[in-house]
Amino acid sequence: MKVMTFVLCGMLMLGLCLTGAASAKDTIVVGTSADYPPYEYTDDKGDFVGFDMELIRAIGEKMGKKIKIVDMGFDTLIAGLQNEKIDAVIAAMQASEERKQKVDFSITYHEIKDAILARADSGIELKSVYGIAGYKVASQTGTIQEKWIQDNLIKTGKLPEENYFSYERVDNAAMDIKAGRVDVLHIIADPAISLAEKNDLKIALITTEAVSAGQSIAVTKGNTELLDAINKAIEALKADGTLQALMDKYKLL
Amino acid sequence: MTPFVTMLQFLLPGLGVTVSVTLIALGLGGCIGALMAVFRVYGNPVVKGLAVSYSVVVRAVPVVVIIFILFFVISAFIDLSPFMSGAIALGFASGAYQTEIFRGAILSIPQGQMTAARGIGMSKAKAIRCIILPQAFRVAIPSLINEVTLVLKDSSLVFVIGVPELMRRAQYASASTMEPLLAFGTAACFYIVLTLVLSRLLETVEKRFAVQF
Repeated sequence: MKVMTFVLCGMLMLGLCLTGAASAKDTIVVGTSADYPPYEYTDDKGDFVGFDMELIRAIGEKMGKKIKIVDMGFDTLIAGLQNEKIDAVIAAMQASEERKQKVDFSITYHEIKDAILARADSGIELKSVYGIAGYKVASQTGTIQEKWIQDNLIKTGKLPEENYFSYERVDNAAMDIKAGRVDVLHIIADPAISLAEKNDLKIALITTEAVSAGQSIAVTKGNTELLDAINKAIEALKADGTLQALMDKYKLL
Repeated sequence: MTPFVTMLQFLLPGLGVTVSVTLIALGLGGCIGALMAVFRVYGNPVVKGLAVSYSVVVRAVPVVVIIFILFFVISAFIDLSPFMSGAIALGFASGAYQTEIFRGAILSIPQGQMTAARGIGMSKAKAIRCIILPQAFRVAIPSLINEVTLVLKDSSLVFVIGVPELMRRAQYASASTMEPLLAFGTAACFYIVLTLVLSRLLETVEKRFAVQF
């Protein structure tokens, strides 16, 4: 018993000693949610890869800073910035009004389009994104797409609330479409393509009608020094073609 | 076979994290639990009240909320890594359940033991330490085995603050290979094996300390 207590205390001390290294000045700690290909995911070695990941490393290079990427759940990223657990967030995040009240956003580094996914054999044809109101609709929890559906389809009575399904993860939503539990999935277009390929779904519509926003990097509110440096780096990467090269590499639209 | 090998590459690094989070949480919870149980049974009204409110409040709050509070509120003052605050939060939560386990065990020791210990001149503290707790610990082992399996599974909650344990690794794997069944199925196998190993270990302890008839 005494030995065990000793070992456990030792482990505790060790853990406590290992903390506190995160906030060195020449390193920017960047939070992400690494479950969203092609933007951010891990390879089988556990390294963070994807469009956002390569972009933030390129930004770090331009700024002359080291980048340390930490993975958190998407919902905790904003809280992480507010508590200064992390310096910046790159997670395919769009600068919505609500988020702008809590954190500051960089200039847009990638414009996005929306996609509607449906089963390949479903015969669902859409001309407008409003057309999804007649089906069972899915989207990802906490995304701009969910907010749009809530504001424009559910609150206006076009879509009955019981026909809307909020999924924590898009791959689960895609599986449920394949299984026939829901009819359409409203997500942003870039991940939709690989999701559709792997789950035998079809892209029923690609549009900028609902949400034509861009993705930005978020920083803690008031951290203008870091924000300016990030903005400058994004501009430089746009100008020298690195950004476009990354977009081509990850087949972004 | 290859997809399974890929899956192992994804998941194996998470195994160590899950095991260490669980062990730290169990150790911390055990210390808190034993102490609070003694407070609840033998303490004066003040410490008894403290112990009771700890065990009631913590058992009423979802573990994931405790993890959030510890990470975002408390670690604003102390610099804790996600790993440590996750482990400590789990230990804090498990402590409340272990309080109840140890309390039940202490109460199962006949009153006469205490009376006899005091009768031969032991102080109350020494009687608790040398007579009551060793016997109570033996009674508590079967319930502790149960608690071990619960904490092991609760350890999957620390991913919300970014600790890459087994469950989060399975999510990575599911996202990048689009094989959720294989990913979560493999994770489930790991949890089963871990649970079996940990409970077998404690069963050995249980046998070692069993009363010989």
